[in-house]
Amino acid sequence: MPTALVRKTWRDDRRALIGWAVGVAAFTTVYTGFYSQFQGAAQLKQEALPQGMLDFLGIADMLSPAGYLQATIFSLIGPLLVLMCAITLIARTIARPEEDGGMELLLVNPVSRPAFAGQRLAATAAAVTVVAALPGLLLLLLVPAIGLDIALSNVAAAGAGLVALVWCFTGIGFLVGAVTGKRATVLAVTGVLAVATYMANAISGMADGLGWLRWLSPFHYFIGTDPLHTGWHPGALLTLTAVGVVTTAIGVVLFDRRDVGV
Amino acid sequence: MTSDLAVLTEDLTKFYGDHRGVEGLNLEVGTGEVMGFLGPNGAGKTTTIRLLLDFLRPSRGRTAVLGLDPRRDKAALHRQIGYLPGELAFPGRDTAEDLLRFFGDARGGVAWSKVTDLAGRLEVDLSRPVRTMSKGNKQKVGLIQAFMHEPALLILDEPTSGLDPLMQQEFLAMVRDARSAGQTVFMSSHVLAEVQHVADRVAIVRDGRLVAVERVESLGRRAVRAVEIHFHDPVDPADFTDLPGVSDVVVSGPVLTCTVDGRLDPLIKAAARYEVVDLLSAEPDLEETFLSFYYHSEGAGDAHRTRA
Ligand SMILES: Nc1ncnc2c1ncn2[C@@H]1O[C@H](COP(=O)(O)OP(=O)(O)O)[C@@H](O)[C@H]1O
Ligand SMILES: [Mg+2]
Repeated sequence: MPTALVRKTWRDDRRALIGWAVGVAAFTTVYTGFYSQFQGAAQLKQEALPQGMLDFLGIADMLSPAGYLQATIFSLIGPLLVLMCAITLIARTIARPEEDGGMELLLVNPVSRPAFAGQRLAATAAAVTVVAALPGLLLLLLVPAIGLDIALSNVAAAGAGLVALVWCFTGIGFLVGAVTGKRATVLAVTGVLAVATYMANAISGMADGLGWLRWLSPFHYFIGTDPLHTGWHPGALLTLTAVGVVTTAIGVVLFDRRDVGV
Repeated sequence: MTSDLAVLTEDLTKFYGDHRGVEGLNLEVGTGEVMGFLGPNGAGKTTTIRLLLDFLRPSRGRTAVLGLDPRRDKAALHRQIGYLPGELAFPGRDTAEDLLRFFGDARGGVAWSKVTDLAGRLEVDLSRPVRTMSKGNKQKVGLIQAFMHEPALLILDEPTSGLDPLMQQEFLAMVRDARSAGQTVFMSSHVLAEVQHVADRVAIVRDGRLVAVERVESLGRRAVRAVEIHFHDPVDPADFTDLPGVSDVVVSGPVLTCTVDGRLDPLIKAAARYEVVDLLSAEPDLEETFLSFYYHSEGAGDAHRTRA
C-alpha cells in the first residue's frame, strides 16, 4: 500500500498525468498507424531535405520501418513530449508547493525530511515512468499488429531508452527543485539543458572535430546507439539511469540540509 | 533537559542573510501550559515557530520540543504536534473532507468522529473544495487538521485570524478543552485580547528579541489606568504630583485627571482630604497600555530587566 503522501501526490497530479498519458499514447498510435500512408510523403521529404538537415534531426532514413519510427517517435517529438511531462511534474514535487505555500502542511507529515523528499519523488517518478514507457509498450503491440518489420527486442530497447532518458532528466529536475525550491528555475535549467544536449548530440554527428560532444549528451546514450537497428545497449541505459539516481540522491541530501519555504 | 518542558529554546537565533528573524531567544513552555506568543508583525513569531518545526534551521542556538530534537527526531515529533501555519495554504484541489482524510492517514489514522465533531463545533461544510472556501472557512479547516489527532503539543500561528467573533470564542473553548486534556498549546498573536483569556503565560517578542515572559494574571496589575476625579471645590495640583505611580496630573478647577501605574491607594488617600463628587477609573486596556509598554521603546529598559 503506497503511503498517504504518495497517494496524495498522485491525486494532486492526476489531471496532468491523464492529459500527458492520453497525448503521448495518441501521438504514438497515430504516427505509427500512418506508416503506410506516409511512405510516399516520407520519400519526398527525405529527397527534399538536405542530408545535413536529416542528420541534425536524427533521421537516417525514413523509408525502412525502423527508420520511420526513429524519425517520428524517437528522434524529436516523442522525447520532447515525455520530457516536458517529466519536467513539469517533477517541478511539482518540492518547488511548486514551496512557492504556493502548501509545503508546510505537506512537510508536517510525520516522516523525516529525506523520507518526505523520497516519497514525493517516488510518487512522481513512478507516474512519469508510466508515461515515458507508453510509446515503447504501445509499439510492442502496434508493430506486430501493423506488420512492421522490426525485431520486437529492438523496439523494447528503444522504449527502454526513452524511459532511461526521462529518468536522467527527472533526476536533474528533482535536484534543481530540491536545492532552489523555485519552479521557474527547475523548468528553465532542465529545459535548457535538454535542448542544449539535444543540439550537442545533433551537431556532433555533423562536424568532424566535434564528435566528442556526443559523449556529454544524454540523447546520445538514448538514441545515438541506434537501438531500433542494433538492439540493447545496457551500458548506455545504465549511464542514463546512473545520472538520474545520482542527481536524485544529491537532491535528497541537499534538501535535508536547507531551510524550507524562505 | 527536563521532560516537563514541552518547548525549550536556548539562544535560538535565525538570520535571513543579514536580516534578523529572531535572536538569542531563551524560552520555556511547560507541559500542559497554554502559552501566548505575542508581538507586533515582523517581531519574529513565525520564524520562531518554523524553527521549532524544523522548517528553518537555526543560525545559532538549539531547541528541544517535547524533549526531542526537531531535526533528528522529526518523524516522531511531528506525529505529536498539531500545527496551524500562519500563512495558510493547502496543497492540491481536494475537498476539505479528502484533505482531512489525507492528514488523518498520514498521522497513522484518526477517528473520523473527531473530525466531524470539530467540523460541527466550527460550523464548516467539509464537502466543499478547500480552494473555493472563504478565508474564515479555510482557517477552520486548518484548525481541524491541527486538533484532529489530539496532539500533545499544538503550535498555532495566529489561529484567530479570519475567524468571526463567535468562532473565535469557539476556538478559545477548544483551546481550554485541549488544556483540560493535558495538551500543551503554543499560540502566536499580535493582539493580546485574543490570548488573554486562555493563556497561562504570555511571551512577548519585539524586533526578533524576547522582551518579557509574564503570567497573565500579573498583566492587569502592571497596567496603567486613566483616572478622573471630580471634587466639590478646586484642588491644589501639588497634593497629587508627587504620589507614587501617579503621573500626567492635570487639574482644571475641581476636575483632576491623571494616569496611575499600579495600585490606586496613594491617589485615593490624597483625594480623601477633599470632598469627592465623582471618580472615574477607566478599565485597564491591556492592549493600549501593557503592550505599548513593551512594544515601544520606553518599555525596553524595563523589559531587559525582566528578561535577565
Ligand atoms: N523568508 C524571509 N526572508 C527574509 N526575511 C524574512 C523572511 N521571513 C521573515 N523575515 C523577516 O524576519 C522578521 C520576522 O518575521 P516573522 O517571523 O514573519 O514575524 P511575525 O511572524 O512575528 O510577524 C521580519 O523582519 C521579516 O521581515
Ligand atoms: Mg507571522
